[in-house]
Amino acid sequence: MNFSEFMVQYGGVFFAGLGAAIAVFLSGIGSAIGVGLVGEAASGLMIEEPEKFGKSLVLQLLPGTQGLYGFVIGLLVLGKLSVGMPLNEGLYIFAACLPIGFVGWLSAVAQGKTAAAGIAILAKNEEQSTKGIIYAVMVETYALLAFVTSLILVNAVSF
Amino acid sequence: MAIVKMSNFSLFAFDSKRENLLHELQKFKYVHFYDLAEDESLMDEGLQSAEIPESLVAIEEEIIKVKYSIDLLSKYYVRETGIKAMQKGKESFSFDELEDKASKVDYHGVYNKLKELDTKKEALNQEVIKLKTSVDELSHWIKLDTSIKDLSLFEQSHIFLGTIPKKLKQKVQNELTITELTYFEIISEDKDNLYVMVLTYKSEEEAVKDILRNNSFSILKLIGEDTPEREIAQINDKIEELEGKISEYEEEIVALSNNLPDLEVVYDYLMNEKLRVMSSEKFLMTESVIIIRGYVPTDMAGEFTETVKAALDNVYYLEIKEADNDDPNVPILLKNSKFAQTFESLTSMYALPKYNEVDPTPFLAPFYLIFFGMMLADIGYGLALLIGTTVALKKFNLSENQKNFMRFFNYLSYPTIVWGLIYGSFLGGIIPMPALIDPATEYFNILIISIVFGIFHLYFGLGLKAYLSIKEGKYLDALFDVGFWYMALTGGIGFLLPMFITLPSIIKNISLVVMIIGMVGIVATGGRESKSIPGKAVGGLYSLYGISGYVGDFVSYSRLMALGLSGGFIGGAINMIAGMLFDSGIIGIIAGVVVFIGGQFFNIFLSALGAYVHSIRLIFVEFFGKFYEGGGIPFNLFRSEAKYINLK
Repeated sequence: MNFSEFMVQYGGVFFAGLGAAIAVFLSGIGSAIGVGLVGEAASGLMIEEPEKFGKSLVLQLLPGTQGLYGFVIGLLVLGKLSVGMPLNEGLYIFAACLPIGFVGWLSAVAQGKTAAAGIAILAKNEEQSTKGIIYAVMVETYALLAFVTSLILVNAVSF
Repeated sequence: MAIVKMSNFSLFAFDSKRENLLHELQKFKYVHFYDLAEDESLMDEGLQSAEIPESLVAIEEEIIKVKYSIDLLSKYYVRETGIKAMQKGKESFSFDELEDKASKVDYHGVYNKLKELDTKKEALNQEVIKLKTSVDELSHWIKLDTSIKDLSLFEQSHIFLGTIPKKLKQKVQNELTITELTYFEIISEDKDNLYVMVLTYKSEEEAVKDILRNNSFSILKLIGEDTPEREIAQINDKIEELEGKISEYEEEIVALSNNLPDLEVVYDYLMNEKLRVMSSEKFLMTESVIIIRGYVPTDMAGEFTETVKAALDNVYYLEIKEADNDDPNVPILLKNSKFAQTFESLTSMYALPKYNEVDPTPFLAPFYLIFFGMMLADIGYGLALLIGTTVALKKFNLSENQKNFMRFFNYLSYPTIVWGLIYGSFLGGIIPMPALIDPATEYFNILIISIVFGIFHLYFGLGLKAYLSIKEGKYLDALFDVGFWYMALTGGIGFLLPMFITLPSIIKNISLVVMIIGMVGIVATGGRESKSIPGKAVGGLYSLYGISGYVGDFVSYSRLMALGLSGGFIGGAINMIAGMLFDSGIIGIIAGVVVFIGGQFFNIFLSALGAYVHSIRLIFVEFFGKFYEGGGIPFNLFRSEAKYINLK
């Protein structure tokens, strides 16, 4: 079997699978970086004020959602995979996975930075720490939009 | 239901009565003092600040003492934990009870004893540390089986003890081979250093010294009499003895730890006293008359006058009148129904309203409920919240803040269940339920519902803005800033709708006309605050450009769908994994149950957190952005927030 035969026969399932993988791993990488950033910042705080652990955990979780959005898209694509998928359908699903993959990745990193800065609010003025959460949530909007778009794209067209 | 009406007062009283007055006012609680020291014109007239720094210093010293005792004792005090402790909660006191109780506690006695014990214990600790260092030092010389005092008794020869860096081991040994009457021995070594003994005859002493110096030798002087080994044994005995004493002191401290609850009461009392002393910073005085200005809730003005009258034996001058609506110094106290009250925390998180605004709390509460429910949307999760919060409210003795927090989630559990029924979702679909709208297939309908909620929410916000303008008598502003926007937005929606659904063309045409009238109106009036004609024109166009912001606002409501779906899918995924495990034998079943329970709890927490903050965002950014400014000063009750007790 040469390359073009492979593409015709298995290209569809290959690209759809690649799409699912990209949706999961890009957003997962972003979330891991983001959650890690906040964790580092929060660890410094725990030395002096371990009683703020609960609130710092909330901040740390915020950049974690992108990875979950990517995971959901990955699962949806998983439900559509079949070996004999036509190439055009595979490429379409691949494209549908791109929004949550890329936006999820970079927005999680940006959100991680914002949430890490929110740890400073928690350290110095605990009552106002919810505002740090809100700032971080502002970033999440774009990840949500990308998630909605990927979700609709994956389901909108049936071949 | 709204912002509590305030009255401002000016009070003149004799300074000799100040203590009593402040004491009674603190009991009264609902007084907010205005800082007169900020008013420079009064200072110029020769009035002085009424603060008493000496009493503040004195009370702070007391607080430090009590805090010291509390910190020390809480290391040893065994508190009840778990459910029992929560049932018991913090003890409740009225202000009189607090004073009564605090006055009966002899905290000076406890403090003095503790201080003495702690100082003694610390001194012994220091000594133990010192002894341990000498043990460390001696431990390198254990192999030396001569008494330390004998080492200096040589007459014809000299003995050196000391360290040499390990990397010079070879070098020093080589260099010392030229000597004839010198004995070199490595007694022990650690990571970096060799511990060496050098015994040399006097004639060679200088040469050996040179060699040693060149090899970074540093002399150590051993302290003690006996052999190092026996010295160590002696020191260890001493350490044991000291540690025995330390634990005796500790036991004495533990015996005092029963005083901790009393000390905590005293602490909260002293913090209130400190607040009382500190409040004098905000007053001014002449030689003997003190001037106080501040605010009290209007409906409590009578009670306030009575309190003042009684505290000052009828000798005073008091002026009370209702606060001016536009006075920026009026402090804000919110009063809402029991239901809306739980949402006040959201309002104050953003900013308290100004005195001439409305309290947005009752308006945001219903939307918050709908949004939260839509994003969490699961019968199982809703029931978990409902049961958890109900048990906590019924069984536990909670502080007022905790109660509000529990009630907040208690209310939120109902819409969660309702939306769970609509979506047909029970713990992420573990029990198949008929769905009114199935999120897996009809997500587009949910998206439309979300946007419709958004449109309604924003229209409601604009409506509130119009209401505020009308309340102030600015009817034209209501038309310009809200009426035209209603027309432009509604017209725009009506105009674009036929792209998606079929409607009679007349609707499209009417919508177009309405939209254009609205838009022209916005351009014509949006820049009316500018002075020049070009300024007005540009301002008007810029206002119309704001329509792009509305598009963004509407889209933002798609999160209502997105969070609901993602929570549902993640719950579903957990069930799927648990199900796969469940099919593979006994261990699989156990693992499956663990994954199911752990995963669902994780998802409840994550989804509830997401629903909580994203609902807040929709309220703060999209809703408040339309009408609410905020920036009021909070009404500071004349009480310090109690840390260890519930103060009524």
